[in-house]
Amino acid sequence: MAVSPLISRSPSATASSSNAAMKLKKVATQSSLNGPEIAPSPLSMQNSDRELTEQLNDDVRHKYIKDKKLGEGTYAVVFLGHLRSEPSSFVAIKKIKVNAEYKDGLSMDAIREVKYLQELAHPNIIALHDVFSSKDKNLSLVLEYLPLGDLEMLIKDANIHYGVADIKAWMGMLTRGVWFCHENFVLHRDIKPNNLLIASDGEVKLADFGLARSFADPYLNMTHQVITRWYRPPELLYGARQYSGVVDVWSIGMVFAELILRVPFVAGSSDLDQISKICEAFGTPTEANWPGVTKLPNYLAPDNNHMVPLQGREFFLRQFPTVGAVGADLLMSMCALDPRKRSSACQILQHGWWLTEPKPTNKENLPRKSGGTKKMGDDLTRRGGEVDDTPFKNAARQLDFNAMR
Amino acid sequence: MIEDDFYRASSQFRLWSFTEASLHSLRSETNATASDRVRAALRRAREARQSTASSAAGTPSAEDTTTAGGDQQPHNIECLTAEEEQQLIRYYCEQIIELGERYKPPLPTIVRATAIQYFRRFYLTNSPMAYHPKTIMPCALFLATKTDNYYLSLRQFAETFPGDATADDIIAPEFLVMQSLRFTFDVRHPFRGLEGGVMELQAIAQGIAHPAPHAPQQTPDDLRRDLLALPSPPPPAVQSSSITDRLARAHHNTRETLKAAAQITDAYFLYTPAQIWLAAFLIADRPMAEFYLSSKLGMPGQEEEEQGGGGAGNPLYELRTKMFATVNKCADLLQSYTPLASDPEQKKNLRAIGKKLYHCQNPEKANISGQKRIPAAAAAAAAAVSSGGDPGTSESEIERLAKKRKLEGSKKDLFGGDLVMQRTKENQADEQ
Repeated sequence: MAVSPLISRSPSATASSSNAAMKLKKVATQSSLNGPEIAPSPLSMQNSDRELTEQLNDDVRHKYIKDKKLGEGTYAVVFLGHLRSEPSSFVAIKKIKVNAEYKDGLSMDAIREVKYLQELAHPNIIALHDVFSSKDKNLSLVLEYLPLGDLEMLIKDANIHYGVADIKAWMGMLTRGVWFCHENFVLHRDIKPNNLLIASDGEVKLADFGLARSFADPYLNMTHQVITRWYRPPELLYGARQYSGVVDVWSIGMVFAELILRVPFVAGSSDLDQISKICEAFGTPTEANWPGVTKLPNYLAPDNNHMVPLQGREFFLRQFPTVGAVGADLLMSMCALDPRKRSSACQILQHGWWLTEPKPTNKENLPRKSGGTKKMGDDLTRRGGEVDDTPFKNAARQLDFNAMR
Repeated sequence: MIEDDFYRASSQFRLWSFTEASLHSLRSETNATASDRVRAALRRAREARQSTASSAAGTPSAEDTTTAGGDQQPHNIECLTAEEEQQLIRYYCEQIIELGERYKPPLPTIVRATAIQYFRRFYLTNSPMAYHPKTIMPCALFLATKTDNYYLSLRQFAETFPGDATADDIIAPEFLVMQSLRFTFDVRHPFRGLEGGVMELQAIAQGIAHPAPHAPQQTPDDLRRDLLALPSPPPPAVQSSSITDRLARAHHNTRETLKAAAQITDAYFLYTPAQIWLAAFLIADRPMAEFYLSSKLGMPGQEEEEQGGGGAGNPLYELRTKMFATVNKCADLLQSYTPLASDPEQKKNLRAIGKKLYHCQNPEKANISGQKRIPAAAAAAAAAVSSGGDPGTSESEIERLAKKRKLEGSKKDLFGGDLVMQRTKENQADEQ
């Protein structure tokens, strides 16, 4: 455990008493003899007739102070907050809104997000410090405060210049985060630049687990309606119901390409258009280069006059010369049409590109942009894992930020 | 990082793993607190009755303080013991398994198993005297369908659910349940590990296995030969069946143990998923399970011979000794489980417990709908008002809930329990 990259779940100031729920265990072995007695907080006193878990919840809630609102969407409101005990330790408090139309209790995206973030503690995954409920039974997620916006913001800003060393640093952090998810049997299923948030020290953090799920057991089906279209792999576009971690790897590849080109590499306007753009770019899937592809539920036979041969190394080298031959080779391994031939997150981490010059930039020296706080508010208020064809299509993105000005 | 590290980072390990002693004392604590509260609540109810019935009867409060400490009061209520609570919980866990069969198609094993663990985790810090299992159980099961990706609408779920519980009744305690789960929804089950182990054994049987890292000289054929040479498991095993049949039988029997005994005993609280499936496998086919473990950790006695009796210093030897001890202990626990249906004595006992619970149910906790998410109703009402629709029903609903909340709030102000105060203090001291 000594060398594990696990990080504390709570902001530094409370690391020692961070896990309120650890008290569950401590209650069992408690003895009033040890430890200095401290007065109960006024809050606990007020609610002294409450159940143990309610008391614990109150204690957690009492740990934080909400400051200003950072953003509001249909799904959530995000506040800047800080630890009561240490005003300089910022957190983002994401309060999930009650969806009046959903009568079945807590919504699935909120459940998924909480379920997986509770399990995943890694430097490249947004930390969930605490969860608490307020008096009105609303759920609040206390998340790591990530003030420097997201990768999309950097890619789009023409005033920001970055090079291969920077891309290598970002890609390394992204891949480690995804690798950790997969090692824990979790598929993220919505990797894209605006879900890659940036911490104050430059560390990239994978966020938005609203579409995440555990690996299905063999033979069980999953939905193919996941991952934002431009980052969605061909097997999902063809309607595959059984898939693996390499769906996320395709998305990583698309982010890689986008970081290099500074525009999305295959940006289809519909699912069909997305398939044809992928075929044009990487080659037409056939039984020869992807055994079994024609059996997928939504497979469409290509126009025989428009068969594009499977692209080789030269293509990637020509399209993405800045990352060099080894980098192009890595990208190619992420963009294999046949999921069985695509690299796993672990294989990506073992690739030679990380060892070639230039070395990845130290995270402190990575290009950065101000105004990220607003962007974090924006990113976190989106409905978990929003996919283009949900009824909430654009609603959540048109956020009203006038409130915070 | 090794797999153990991943498991140690899981909420199941961090929050829901215990020693036998800590588990026992947590339950006693929960039971004691709940009993005190039930007594206090019933006393309050009685006082209220008395003071309204006969205002001339002197000073009931003074009378009360003299009897509060002693259990000699004639009307003193008998509360459930921690052990009785456990039996009750066990019964409802079996109900979850049975209920799963009623759905078409039946609810997946994983969903039922998750629901049972939610339910059991809930009752570590809550007592059936405060929250009746019959109100918590359906909610735990529905929550499990959501967290385990088995989508069913609440309406569909409620339709098949037996009894007269409405959809609203089922979902009412959801927040309470989630809060008691400390908002951790992931449960690590032993089923996947079993599938992996069986696949490995199948590979060995087919002669296509990979040798273990500690025994690179081993060939797939060696492994296969050793597997085939295993003594038969004790009867009632069918003699002279093929290794494939034997493996399939062991697989099936292990799964059955995992579906029931592993769920309904304390196995998940005390052991890791790997230990649990290995223990269940040991019960199903001991020679095969021991062979499997040895294929990972070396045959017993093997390295003592090779290294001149240095067995005790060999890390693999120590690991195996420790592991066998733990897995055997877990197997004992799993084997201690007897289904209620097969035990008339237990059934009779359970009826008595049910009767007892009827009398010691905390009256102040009875109305769980007080835990309802008010904003949902409020939002609906607000929408109705703003859209000019008929606000009548919604408004009265809102009023009703508001009154209920107010009532609850005032209750808290009026009766602050001393015992709980003390406990809060202790908690905080303990936190240091």
